[in-house]
Amino acid sequence: MNKKLPALGLATVLALAGCGGNLESDDSGSAAAAYPERAVTMLIGQDAGGSTDLIGRALADPASADLKQPITVQNRPGANGAVAAKELAAAKPDGYTIMVFVGSLAYITPLAVPADQAVDINNYEVVTGISQDDYVLIANPKTGFKDVQGIVAAKRPIKYATTGVGTGSQLTSSLLFAQAGVDATAVPFNGGAPALTAVLGGQVDVAAVQLGEAKEQIEAGKAVPIVTFAEKRPTYMPDTPTAAEAGYKVPVQQSRAVVAPKGTPEEVVDRLRTAFQKSFGEQAYKDFNTQRLLTPNEVDGATLLQQWNGSLQTYKDLVAEHKINLSGK
Amino acid sequence: MSSVLDGFAVVLEPTNLLYCLVGVVIGMLIGVLPGLGPAATIAILLPITFGLEPVTAIIMLAGIFYGAQYGGTITSVLLRLPGEASSVVTVFDGHALTRQGRAGTALGIAAIGSFVGGTLAIIALTFVAPLVADFALDFGPPEYTALALLGILLVATISSGGRLRALTAAAIGLLLATVGRDDFTSAERFTLGNLNLADGLDFVPIAMGLFGLGEILYNLEERHRKVQAPATVANVWPSRADLRQSSGAIGRGSVLGFFLGILPGGGAVLASLAAYALEKRRSKHPERFGKGAIEGVAAPETANNAAATSSFIPLLSLGIPANATMAVIFGALLIQGVTPGPQLITENPELFWGVVNSMYIGNILLLIMSIPLVGLFVRILRVRATILAPITVLITLVGAYTVNNSVFDIGLVIAFGVIGYLMKKLGFDPGPMVLAFVLGSLLETSLRRSLLLFDGDPTGFFTRPISGVLLAALIAVALLPLAQPLLRRRTPLAAEKDRGEEEVGRGTPEARDPGPKEPQAKQAAAGTPDSGAPDPNTSEERNSAT
Repeated sequence: MNKKLPALGLATVLALAGCGGNLESDDSGSAAAAYPERAVTMLIGQDAGGSTDLIGRALADPASADLKQPITVQNRPGANGAVAAKELAAAKPDGYTIMVFVGSLAYITPLAVPADQAVDINNYEVVTGISQDDYVLIANPKTGFKDVQGIVAAKRPIKYATTGVGTGSQLTSSLLFAQAGVDATAVPFNGGAPALTAVLGGQVDVAAVQLGEAKEQIEAGKAVPIVTFAEKRPTYMPDTPTAAEAGYKVPVQQSRAVVAPKGTPEEVVDRLRTAFQKSFGEQAYKDFNTQRLLTPNEVDGATLLQQWNGSLQTYKDLVAEHKINLSGK
Repeated sequence: MSSVLDGFAVVLEPTNLLYCLVGVVIGMLIGVLPGLGPAATIAILLPITFGLEPVTAIIMLAGIFYGAQYGGTITSVLLRLPGEASSVVTVFDGHALTRQGRAGTALGIAAIGSFVGGTLAIIALTFVAPLVADFALDFGPPEYTALALLGILLVATISSGGRLRALTAAAIGLLLATVGRDDFTSAERFTLGNLNLADGLDFVPIAMGLFGLGEILYNLEERHRKVQAPATVANVWPSRADLRQSSGAIGRGSVLGFFLGILPGGGAVLASLAAYALEKRRSKHPERFGKGAIEGVAAPETANNAAATSSFIPLLSLGIPANATMAVIFGALLIQGVTPGPQLITENPELFWGVVNSMYIGNILLLIMSIPLVGLFVRILRVRATILAPITVLITLVGAYTVNNSVFDIGLVIAFGVIGYLMKKLGFDPGPMVLAFVLGSLLETSLRRSLLLFDGDPTGFFTRPISGVLLAALIAVALLPLAQPLLRRRTPLAAEKDRGEEEVGRGTPEARDPGPKEPQAKQAAAGTPDSGAPDPNTSEERNSAT
């Protein structure tokens, strides 16, 4: 009890000092050295219970043990994470507000929304990459489709479900069918589960969904995997060819990263990165990745920026080349 | 069958048992308190469920819903003050029995009837819902389009008192559902460039505002009379003769309530009215009704509980909320990351069977509680509204914030609270608006998906068996009111309903003498928009009361 009181007083003093930070900005160096002195808020731009939320929470616990400060996870769902990204951009760049950023917001959504609503990852400091989630194209067994050639050879118009506009699911399918010359109509659903249901129920012929969403149905024989859109065969689906092997250029993944506001001191970013690396090393976290069929992508900020900016450019070029319009007709 | 048993294992986990108890106690309490109904209470408590496991959350919320059906009876019988709209008809014979010194009998029969009705409905639910789930994969966008249309139309047509008002409210609900980024083109619609609106208006703040805050504001205008509760209630165990006399009514009430509960737009209120009317018509001595006929208590109390239970069927098996309370529970499932629909039973068996089986436990708890604790619950009525209202408002606003940690949502709750209040003042039930809002986005996206699947050919809806049948039902419902004056022999349901309305119509002015009461407010509180029936009386009553 007695021990807590001075600590509380100290915190108050520091908080007050923080308020006057504008007047004496030269103390930022020492403040960074002492980081973290209080709880860190981790924003999640998706609903609680979704993949991104679970990933953030799986990371938060071990990292906060290393930081010796709690990491409080706060969900700010909306617009594929744009709501949270906007809030992060406006937060103080002091390392006390960070966010789990989804790659599709940085490199796929900009293809579908007006330029002024697109989020640019270069306006943030990337702490670390987290992991990648691969997409697999699945077909209803009744279609008889087993591979892309089969779809092409069927010579009929097909319908495919997507998990929404401006998602990797939409981008992968539309790129594949454009390159294969298949007359295909996209039917957007709201998320992976309904898109999967539409395939199982035969309302659509095929859909691209994330590995973890489809694995169970594939194993049960209720859905046939056609191709994955991974760079190389994911360890979780060694028997399914990649789109590249089938002869198509559709390198699309969902990817996630921990991100801080632009201008967060380098020492703070480094401290956070060390903490998350502790999380990556935990066996429980590794098991979590296996269980959710996630491929680790624990690269540093510069590498991640290179990956994501590269993806955006590649997709822009591909979309232009094949005259695809992600926002409807 | 093993999943049914696994469901019991889920229920018997201590946490779930505890929340089942918490749910039914809260249900009883708000059932006793006039004003706040189950839809409002569940809306206000939504944020609390956020941190719970989905199955635990829904067990508690369901407990509130059917618990309220028990609680509403107590004040109807003892004080001629229905705590819930679904207990309005219980007033006639229930209070008459109290005046004859047989309050205990009335409460005992009501509790037993509620228990039997609820339990039979759960058993039926256990067998019916999985049948629907067998067709789960056949439910594609066209079927959902037809279901959503049917749901919205039934809500509006069944609420006879103010069909036009219900349709107006539903139309506004549909418009509200269009706000947000278009799911198909990502075009911005009515978002005013605000990112908070990019995904559309969130259901939770709307429900909390319209039902919760609106309800509280409206109730503040009511005059609260002092409640004189009877000191003791003796003889809660009905005699053999009473039981024999009510057994038929309980049986018929169970069946009628079960079917009316499944009907979109139906629910506990309609069921209680219809069951009362049915008993009176069947009786050889209809003149006994209103003067203390035990069947007049047994039938509606059985039916409202059976209906409260069976209204979970369309929600849990199809993902279509049958009434406003179900719409709020629909929202609760969504914030838990569970999308209710035909997939629910197979994908989330522990949730489905856990919730269904918790209702057995809940009904037993209620039966045990409702008899000895009557006096305690009646005492709750003495808590002054001036204390209760500010606390509830505070809980509502704090709760609204915690769902998405969004200050914007607090603003939404306040805005919709004011809208809800004004709607009540002008005689609009917010129920159809909330339901149409929930079903609106389903309707729009399913319709557009279907048209993509049909290559733009709308005849596709009629050539698929399930959507074809649903659309035929839709046309029948739409044409029924037009055809009614032409038909000499009317359908039994319509006739019963009208009789029920007559009953309430005749009963309400008579019920005025002890003091002003507000069936209208309570109906809205119960969230079932189907009973605009006493509206004309209510407004008279209010005028004369002031």
